[in-house]
Amino acid sequence: MSEALLQVRGLTRDYRLIKKREGVSGGLIDLVRPRRELLRAVDDVSFEIPAGEMVGYIGANGAGKSTTLKMLTGILTPTSGEVTVGGLVPWRERVQYTRHIGAVFGQRTQLWWDLAVVESFRLLQKIYEVDEQTYQRQMGIFDDLLDIGDYLHQPVRKLSLGQRMRCDLAAALLHRPRVLFLDEPTIGLDVVAKENVRQFLREIRERDGVTIILTTHDIGDIEQLCRRVIIIDKGRVHFDGELEDLRRRVGQKVRLTVDLRDTATSAELAATTGDLPVRWTSGEGRRHQAEFNRSEVPGAEVIKRLVNGAHVLDLSLAEQPIEEVVRDIYRQQGRPTP
Amino acid sequence: MDLRTQRGTEGFWPRLIWQGRIFGAYFGQFVKMRLAYRMDFLVDTLAVSFSMAIQLTVLSVLFSKIRALDGWSFEQVLFIYGFSLLPLGLFNLISVNFYGFSDKYIIGGKFDRVLLRPVNTLVQVMFESFNVSGLNEIILGTAVMIYAGMKLNFAFGVGDFLALLVLVPSAALVYTGVFLAITSVSFWHEDRMGLAPPVYNIIRFSRYPLTIYSLPVRVFLTFVLPFAWVAFYPATWFIGGGQLPLVALLTVPVGVVVFSGAVWMWHRGAANYASTGS
Ligand SMILES: Nc1ncnc2c1ncn2[C@@H]1O[C@H](COP(=O)(O)OP(=O)(O)O)[C@@H](O)[C@H]1O
Ligand SMILES: [Mg+2]
Repeated sequence: MSEALLQVRGLTRDYRLIKKREGVSGGLIDLVRPRRELLRAVDDVSFEIPAGEMVGYIGANGAGKSTTLKMLTGILTPTSGEVTVGGLVPWRERVQYTRHIGAVFGQRTQLWWDLAVVESFRLLQKIYEVDEQTYQRQMGIFDDLLDIGDYLHQPVRKLSLGQRMRCDLAAALLHRPRVLFLDEPTIGLDVVAKENVRQFLREIRERDGVTIILTTHDIGDIEQLCRRVIIIDKGRVHFDGELEDLRRRVGQKVRLTVDLRDTATSAELAATTGDLPVRWTSGEGRRHQAEFNRSEVPGAEVIKRLVNGAHVLDLSLAEQPIEEVVRDIYRQQGRPTP
Repeated sequence: MDLRTQRGTEGFWPRLIWQGRIFGAYFGQFVKMRLAYRMDFLVDTLAVSFSMAIQLTVLSVLFSKIRALDGWSFEQVLFIYGFSLLPLGLFNLISVNFYGFSDKYIIGGKFDRVLLRPVNTLVQVMFESFNVSGLNEIILGTAVMIYAGMKLNFAFGVGDFLALLVLVPSAALVYTGVFLAITSVSFWHEDRMGLAPPVYNIIRFSRYPLTIYSLPVRVFLTFVLPFAWVAFYPATWFIGGGQLPLVALLTVPVGVVVFSGAVWMWHRGAANYASTGS
């Protein structure tokens, strides 16, 4: 029997909050008797991840994703629960553990702001004791896959967000970690930069077999990268399984927005799609919105009917945002999965 | 996969050497960065030299009027003053990151990054930036000590030289320990104003012979906020004063104890670190 590389059991984290009272007198009372409150950001989370897997850890804003990742990387000490990664407890054996992992936390860079990118890499080379041969090979790979060669000599503060994210990814992988933790690696990036990052992650995983755990808000990241997803909401795990399975449960909802040449009522539009399972949710005048499920009706069919039945100027389709997927799961189950 | 078997440098000395190399790398980067802003560097050096010159002028004007202070001659007082600059300079060189630690590292969340790297957190924070003006203090302190020592006809032997090599770092440990302890408090209380500035002001009391103060102040500076150990007690090794030369050697255990206590507090604090939202 092979044990999973990463094992999480009953992981829980509370934050201590100080609630401020109002006004001057409130401020004075606060000084003497601060009102403390506990916020349970991560609540009894358990899962296992075998080596080499790429897992999406998803949930709405404030669900507890970053907090979980901070505990898995040894930044935060949990209130209770256990984590072992390859036999090491992150926060207890931090120095030894961090040699084997890489991490990128969203918008915040791990690099030295004022140093040229390459200087940051040289420092990291010393810190992680990467030999020169490995260093050169890794840099070669990064240049191939990420094109960072062009701005290696620029200070980090002068890079665009997309360039910086690529450098951060490279920096996190320089020492060839076994596990890579990514917190919102595509947040704020434009479409091209997002695609670059996704492509890179796929390749690096195939090449090195590195285990990747990434949090995201973007269903696109998940669809393109992860077979397995873990959904959390209010600190609790609500789903842990294959993406396919998730799709089967909540379907593939899409939101359609139509702009018409002339004003129309919802009823008139509903008539164009007739018996198709399309729900017109809102709209008046020239702009209307509808929802339908791709697993029930192909998008092309809906659009064909619409264009035939009304003077459509423009239309767009949007994937259901992750927040709604989570809400739907919630609604279906009515209770958290064990 | 068992990560426990794949270890980095091990053993006390190899790790110390490795940390020395990291220090070298950080310092090298720092110098490069400073050289990139050459003007800043020049302005800094000028500013520090200027403020030192003023301090010295004040001191000599003061002592051209008063020839002695509670039984201590001007030269002895000057010697203590000069000595006090050595550990202070050493401390200033590495401790700039203690100032604003709460803002930068805790409220700003920069401590996350520190925790992600396989190097002792304290080593990283201390070595991430240096304050070169510390070098000026060391140079000036040495000059003042040599001048005062010559006036005192002080025969500086090998033993004295060794004592200096031990006492200065020990006194620097006292400084570093005190401010490290204060800095560690910010892991529990995100305090923007901080205790450091008022405590920093108390340092100036340590530059004069302790015996000029009243008993409560002496007790306070010896046992509570132990700044008597950063200049007066160790300096007495050289300038004498009754039984004091032996007391001077106590600077070593005091430094070690204060600093170890502070390091312990620091690590307790780091385990209590709560990071920041988003
Ligand atoms: N350092 C902190 N101190 C206090 N509360 C925090 C802190 N970090 C996060 N929180 C709170 O914990 C909850 C979970 O946050 P987080 O883990 O950042 O969620 P996510 O990454 O899924 O958006 C939120 O309610 C957030 O406000
Ligand atoms: Mg987050």
